[in-house]
Amino acid sequence: MALDTSIPVLVVDDYKTMIRIIRNLLKQLGFEDVDEAADGTEALGKMRERRYGLVISDWNMEPMTGYELLKQVRADTGLAKTPFIMVTAESKTENVIAAKKAGVNNYIVKPFNAQTLKGKIEAVFGV
Amino acid sequence: MSTMTAEHAARVIDYLRNERKSDDVSLDDVMRLAEIMAESFQSFFKTLDNSIYTELGEMAREISSMKTELSELQLADVRQDRIPAAGRELDAIVEATEDATNTIMSAAEEIMGADPADVEGYQNTVNEKIVAIFEACSFQDITGQRISKVVQTLSHLDERISRLVDKLKIMKIEDAPKEETAEERRRRELILHGPQHKGEGVSQNDIDAYF
Repeated sequence: MALDTSIPVLVVDDYKTMIRIIRNLLKQLGFEDVDEAADGTEALGKMRERRYGLVISDWNMEPMTGYELLKQVRADTGLAKTPFIMVTAESKTENVIAAKKAGVNNYIVKPFNAQTLKGKIEAVFGV
Repeated sequence: MSTMTAEHAARVIDYLRNERKSDDVSLDDVMRLAEIMAESFQSFFKTLDNSIYTELGEMAREISSMKTELSELQLADVRQDRIPAAGRELDAIVEATEDATNTIMSAAEEIMGADPADVEGYQNTVNEKIVAIFEACSFQDITGQRISKVVQTLSHLDERISRLVDKLKIMKIEDAPKEETAEERRRRELILHGPQHKGEGVSQNDIDAYF
């Protein structure tokens, strides 16, 4: 099964450069429909307006962190099944476990390359 | 038994009335007051007990030594010059890395968007943008020099604070328990603390084992 690159993707990060990097990596992988949000609150608002096929979110953001966003998404019946990948510079086991328990589909440690991003997206969709 | 006379208190009163530079009480004010009190009351206490007199002399020497230590800390220099300068260096580093990143990404985006069907145009774009990427990478040299200056400031502070802590035996005094605010608790529980150094944290391979 091939990766469906036509799905709309929401990239959530408070660092514009990181959004630009992920957007370009996604473009290289064939994803053209990429939207962005600067924190969990903005992302949640966008997710309630539009159905995204994938969310790629940073953890450290204010006022709503990526972890809080994940929990809100999983608690919302309309959004609960949205595939969610967490991206963070910190790789402590307890954070990975907490995110896993909260229902994250995959977890990427920064810095990462296009192959890692592609691999994790494929794993989420079982490709 | 000797009684305390107006003369004993005169210098203390005189200091409190005339010599203090402002209404704010600084550490320097407290130390100066303690010094004057110790000197002024020496004759009074001498008549009471010789051991108390010796203790007071010891205290006066400690206070004098502490004043010397504090002056050697050059706190004004640290607060007015070194810390603001280090802050400016860090701001400049953030700005330089951001500029370089934007330049490099813009160049890469232009290469990515160039039309490979136009062979000559494509080659010109690639060559031009590669030069721009090399030029942007020169930020590493400049930021390296700026980071060295910040490290020097931290070493300067570390050296002086360690010496003061050692002299004053501050480490023997336990910190008073500090009440955590709701915001501090939220940050502690929800905000991660940034990238780990090599050998810390877990690798992407270790993380993959959880999924």
